[in-house]
Amino acid sequence: MTYIGAEEIVSPLGQNTQENFLAVRENRSGISLISDAGFNKESVHLAKITLIETSNKFEFLLVDILKKISANIDASCILSERTIVIISSTKGDLDRDIADPFGPSLVALVKRFKLANQPIVVSNACISGVLAINAGNNFIKAGVYDHAVVIGCDVISDFVLYGFQSLFAVSSTPCAPFDANRNGITLGEGCSAVVLSNTKDIFKNSPLKLFTGTSANDANHISGPSRTGEGLYRTVKRTLEKSEISPDEIDFISAHGTATVFNDEMEAIAFDRLHMSGIPLNSLKGYFGHTLGAAGVIETAISMQMMRNNLLVKSLGYSQSGTSKTLNIVTENMPSELNTILKTASGFGGCNASLVFRKI
Amino acid sequence: MNTLKEDLKEQIIEQLNLEDLQVSDIGDDSLLFSTDGVGLDSIDALELIVLMEKFYGIQVTNPDEGKEAFLTINTMADYIEKNRK
Amino acid sequence: MSFITAYCQITERSCTINGEIVSEKNEQSGESWFKQLYKELAVDYPKFYKMDLLAQAGFIGSELIKKADQDRLVTYGDDEIALLFANQESSADTDIRFKESYEDKKAPSPSLFVYTLPNIVLGEIAIRNKWFGENMFAVLPKFAPEFFVQYGSILLANDSKAILAGWLGILDGKIQVFVFLVEENAQSGIPLNKENLIKYTGFIDQV
Repeated sequence: MTYIGAEEIVSPLGQNTQENFLAVRENRSGISLISDAGFNKESVHLAKITLIETSNKFEFLLVDILKKISANIDASCILSERTIVIISSTKGDLDRDIADPFGPSLVALVKRFKLANQPIVVSNACISGVLAINAGNNFIKAGVYDHAVVIGCDVISDFVLYGFQSLFAVSSTPCAPFDANRNGITLGEGCSAVVLSNTKDIFKNSPLKLFTGTSANDANHISGPSRTGEGLYRTVKRTLEKSEISPDEIDFISAHGTATVFNDEMEAIAFDRLHMSGIPLNSLKGYFGHTLGAAGVIETAISMQMMRNNLLVKSLGYSQSGTSKTLNIVTENMPSELNTILKTASGFGGCNASLVFRKI
Repeated sequence: MNTLKEDLKEQIIEQLNLEDLQVSDIGDDSLLFSTDGVGLDSIDALELIVLMEKFYGIQVTNPDEGKEAFLTINTMADYIEKNRK
Repeated sequence: MSFITAYCQITERSCTINGEIVSEKNEQSGESWFKQLYKELAVDYPKFYKMDLLAQAGFIGSELIKKADQDRLVTYGDDEIALLFANQESSADTDIRFKESYEDKKAPSPSLFVYTLPNIVLGEIAIRNKWFGENMFAVLPKFAPEFFVQYGSILLANDSKAILAGWLGILDGKIQVFVFLVEENAQSGIPLNKENLIKYTGFIDQV
């Protein structure tokens, strides 16, 4: 059995998990209007961590999260040869060295924490976080390692913002996933980590159970999602089959929900094909923005908190259905027995990934 | 001297990396986004918007505006004549 | 036992399949090396011209391997072939070009931006072949044969029956490309292990 726990989050909403989850349960958003941010020096909505002003923000966040997570687990774990650190990120420390976006930060991380194994960077667009957690789980199940620390981290850069602006994909208002008036993403930045292990003993607080997750490509278009949601459909189906869990055992879906017209429509179609459109569902991007490589980990961590607190949280930004297949979007916080949660992600390159976790 | 339409075809071929096409392959009335026509896709449409700014000083603020204007070379030429700076 | 049943190596000057040279760069021609290789492939796939160098490298490697292993690849289900790729510099080659596209008051290029993620090459290969299987792109400080052996074995132990894997070292003219096919149920080939990957890639700088 693989356990998942010790979750930590650093984002515009707070410096640790408690602060972040408190903000989410109070339905507070980390998104604000940042002046001069856009390509034409216009104001743009972003979920920016303003309390940290340092060059090498990416490295700072990695070191900070690893320090914080170390406090949640057995002290010997981080140093162990049986532990692998997996980093999920799309652009790393791009502004520091465009030709070597991960090198310098990882060298610093390995040295600072005396890591026994070279960290692996999973860089697979917006599914990186879910994919990295799946990879950690796979390594543990195969006996290659006993523990995995999965860190998701991405920081906002002009490079990425201007790129999304060139695609006309940036929302003019704080993003509204699944909503009828949605018109694009709100970029965010953040860092989150979870620990996976084949033993409960390393966790200071009770962990949850993680099942084998999967990924699947749409085989359709490199930047537009499949109109039939084929890749998302296949990964969820495969994940549930491998876990031997039926759709009606799922109590909540933490969807990807970027708030572009096409992504959210694709997800609605896929969940409908899976006969899962009645399951309570939200997107967390109204709180954190789209944190790219960090998204899969931040959103899994918050969903773990929802499970621990038996609380469905409102899908921030949503008021009216804007997809051709209606989903059961959570519109107000609601206490609910959450035993089994499905997390999904989709990304550029036609990739999709999913995972399931459950109370022990 | 090239006409606007010839210039446009050359610019499109160059900006959009349409390596296997010549100016003569693009009819003035060929549907740019149809698979029976020139077969451009959604990213190409966005590059056309960049092209409008770069060569003609026209700022397309909304991609849907582009959809109407970019149907064929003829409609593009009309759009440019109307909007160029 | 898992075997490497086909492999393709591309350097700045040459391209080999299963150790045999299939092409050498024509220095007289003004054309790029990858365009030359594409034309020699003689496949009709104009999308190739829109790809960045990373995607072109993966595409050429996978097409050459398909040619070498024609009859066997088609026998797999559409989600049974996993894609497992890695490199050291991520999408840096294209990132640099994209950055140049918006500096000095120019406009950011959407067609370059969509390639500023290293996993796009997996999407291109999946689209070309209609493969709906597992995907993973990793960034590692050096060529890491153990990563391919370990994660490749993991994918095969899950539901994948074959893996198209590769190291795509592309940056500023450097081409260090090795694409290979691993099959779970092959009768023969090169056993998938660290020593063989080091031997057949010839990459001396590795973990």
